[in-house]
Amino acid sequence: MPSRSPVSAVLCLVLSATAQSSIPLHATNSDRPLSERVVAYDIDARVDVQRHTIDGMETLTYRNLTGKPQDTFPFHLYQNAFQPKSTFMTEMRRSRPSFEWKEKYRASSEITSLEVVGMGDLTPQIRFISPDDGNPEDRTVFQVKLPKAVPPGESVQFKIKFHDQLGQVLARTGYKADFIMGAQWFPKIGVWWQGAWNCHQFHATTEFFADFGTYNVRLTVPKNEIVGASGVEVSTANNADGTKTVAFYGEDIHDFAWTIEPQYRVFTETFNGSMGPVTIRLLIQPDHLDQVERYLRIIHQTMDHFDRGYGPYPYKQITVVDPPHYALSAGGMEYPTLITCGTVWWTPKGWHELEEIAEHEFGHQYWYGMVATNEFEDAWLDEGINSYTEVKILNDIFGADRSQLDLWGITEGDDASQRNSYRGVADKDPMARYAYQYMDGSSYGGITYGKTATVLLTLEKVVGEDTMRRAIHTYFMRYRFTHPTKEDFLKTVEEVSGQNLRWYFDQAVYGTAVMDYDFATASSDRLDWYEKKRAKKAETTYRTVVTVHRKGDFIFPVDVLIKFDNGDSVREHWDGRDRWVRYTYDKKAKLLSAEVDPEHMVRLDKDAFNNSYTAQPDARASRKITRYWMVFIQFLSQIAAWLA
Amino acid sequence: MSEQSGVLQEGARRVWKSQRIVWWLFLVNLLLAFLTTRPLSARLEQVTDHSLQSQRLVNGFDLGAYSELTTNPDAAFSSVMGESNLAIVVFFVFALFLTSGILATYHSDYRLTTTQFFEACGAFFLRWVRLVLFMAVVLIPICVLSYKLLAWSGSVILNKAGPEQTGYWLMLATLLLTTVVMMSLRLWFDMAQVRAVLEGERVMRRTLAQAFRLTSSNFSSLFWLYFRISLLAWLGLALGMWLWTHIPGQHSGLSFVVCEFVLLWWIGTRLWQRASEMVWYERRALTVAAATAVIEAVPSPESSIGAPPTN
Repeated sequence: MPSRSPVSAVLCLVLSATAQSSIPLHATNSDRPLSERVVAYDIDARVDVQRHTIDGMETLTYRNLTGKPQDTFPFHLYQNAFQPKSTFMTEMRRSRPSFEWKEKYRASSEITSLEVVGMGDLTPQIRFISPDDGNPEDRTVFQVKLPKAVPPGESVQFKIKFHDQLGQVLARTGYKADFIMGAQWFPKIGVWWQGAWNCHQFHATTEFFADFGTYNVRLTVPKNEIVGASGVEVSTANNADGTKTVAFYGEDIHDFAWTIEPQYRVFTETFNGSMGPVTIRLLIQPDHLDQVERYLRIIHQTMDHFDRGYGPYPYKQITVVDPPHYALSAGGMEYPTLITCGTVWWTPKGWHELEEIAEHEFGHQYWYGMVATNEFEDAWLDEGINSYTEVKILNDIFGADRSQLDLWGITEGDDASQRNSYRGVADKDPMARYAYQYMDGSSYGGITYGKTATVLLTLEKVVGEDTMRRAIHTYFMRYRFTHPTKEDFLKTVEEVSGQNLRWYFDQAVYGTAVMDYDFATASSDRLDWYEKKRAKKAETTYRTVVTVHRKGDFIFPVDVLIKFDNGDSVREHWDGRDRWVRYTYDKKAKLLSAEVDPEHMVRLDKDAFNNSYTAQPDARASRKITRYWMVFIQFLSQIAAWLA
Repeated sequence: MSEQSGVLQEGARRVWKSQRIVWWLFLVNLLLAFLTTRPLSARLEQVTDHSLQSQRLVNGFDLGAYSELTTNPDAAFSSVMGESNLAIVVFFVFALFLTSGILATYHSDYRLTTTQFFEACGAFFLRWVRLVLFMAVVLIPICVLSYKLLAWSGSVILNKAGPEQTGYWLMLATLLLTTVVMMSLRLWFDMAQVRAVLEGERVMRRTLAQAFRLTSSNFSSLFWLYFRISLLAWLGLALGMWLWTHIPGQHSGLSFVVCEFVLLWWIGTRLWQRASEMVWYERRALTVAAATAVIEAVPSPESSIGAPPTN
């Protein structure tokens, strides 16, 4: 770390005081606090880009709104997860046995002093705890016991001096070459939630949970760095030692992240939301300049959809970070008012991955950012609801069948992609499971993202698409800036729809039941089958028998549409409670087709191919796929023959 | 250059004249692929032929529906490659077996009888097997090196700071380098096969050594010959793929025909390379023979020195 002369130190103090005094009244477009501000962080941090270290002084003011005296406070030290014996790394290795530890991944966060105002230096009181797995080597949570309790309604001020050694980016945070992603970088207090402290260790599949409050952060970095951070920039002051101090202020947020890199190019645009103008600040790699318009357009469109469909975005800024190609593991991540995305220079326009990531990460400003659910325990409430709104918005923008891919005649919808990710792990874990207790990473991904999106899309069949939108809107408006539970969400859907949906939630959310309907029989036979002499077709009465079979254990009411070759059709409704149902019709027409869920809204059904039956076979699809495979095999054979 | 064009034209003429070889290889290639995809076809028919969901695959190509199909246990896509491997191996052996018959056909100025053709095939088959083993010895380090280079360029993309395109250019350069090396290797072994057939060589090590000297001393002209035909093959592939992307999804029959034309073109161009190499070798042999004859006819300078005047 470069030494600091007394003059520059004084200058810094003056500048930082100036910076503090120039803090705008609000970082949101609201003139009143939007959240119950439990915490107020004031952090001075100096970043050494050569050593990849952060030296910080954090003043945390914590309001005891727990309703009871508190003398023990837990804190997260997430950087310590990047050590070989941590719970995070142990779980990562378990999930990916090929993963190899490299010393460059090592990161650490050390508390050099912890003082509680009025109670003195409590550094010796720091104790590392492992509430989730008892791993004594895990140092991602510590707690400190105060000599006297903080009464309810009172505040306590912690002054924490910390030193971070960043590791090379492995997941979300760290450095790589000139790029630094400063995420989960400061000691963060746990959340008093449901009558207890909630401060989980950092796990391979878990994200974060914290209280709302204000953040005054002053980052001292080399002058040539472009800085992006949560909140809004308040001031920039050059220091005598070749650094600059950039001050940021954020309010009604529950985390603070930042990034620096000299190569960033900055583009801004304004979105006029229903609560006021929002600056979209894009920090993009020089290699991706041809994708600036794609980024800005999708963020603009997404904000517009959220604003109209679910509720307003109240903050004055959203910072969109495009990480470099060599640090994509820092991409695709959400922080309050800052998101990281990801793209590659050759991404064709028909491949909507850039848009999908940007939309998804922005969506987290709602599902995580404002509706701040517990990501350790209820990951589906942020990732899943966000995946659902992602499907709705991308489908609206690009079209349902091509929202993810529309290239060279090959198409894919985002809902199909979500559904396919769930199908492979359908019965492994219930959605309601703690994120770190899933069977493995693929189950966590498939269930929290894919299954939740599919469950909510299927719910539209029960309550209606517009009711579902209203339910999500109500949920957002009611629970923004709070920490709702899964039941808060489920009850909101029930309330808005006016329906008791326990039968569905018990199976879909709390259970692992798999849905699969098919046809056991579907055929037409002459009613006078015993007669040798056949009547003319128009005069023949046929008995059509259709038997729908519930193969899976998930009970769900379905519609069945039966079509006849004279143009007639019959729609049946089956509650799905029994294992099968049989429909019989005597008509002067034969069966043309029978289909379960003709509107294709029951997306949870694991196998869509057996949901219908046509009397006449249509071999075009099987022929097409077989031909492709034939060509592929011929091609491979010729490659092999080239060696002959 | 004009001499090279002459070789290409003569090579093309011989392929055209004996085009039944092209058709046979194409038909066997097609038949083997057809037979090995029968089980898949039967399984797919069970899943898709009576399903309305299959329309998503008929009109266009819905990757979501296709992904669902590939993971459908009744379609059992996981066993497709296992089933296909047999076709690939059989076609390889078939092509290996026919090689000497094909070369003999391109060498002879008259149409070989079926017996003569298969006698030539049988006479050289075991020698070709030995040659393939030699090729594997050379090929393995090339493949390992290429893999390492590709992995390295991949890590440049993911890990190294600097312009993002660098890693991709490195990857492209690696692929091009690998292609050139593989083509050179193939050329060397092609010449070894041509020489073995023309000279009736039994010792494959010797023919490989001779072919190496021959290929390396005439590398530019031989590689240029080989490369131009390869380029035409790739252009045909690119044209086929372009057409494929422009054919509406429901016209899969037309797409299939286009793909088959490309595959036929690939067989044709590969045989064109074989025939051109044969022509090149024959002409060189004639040149060498003529040069030898001239050298033998002209008295050596040493013998002239000190010799009495002939007048």
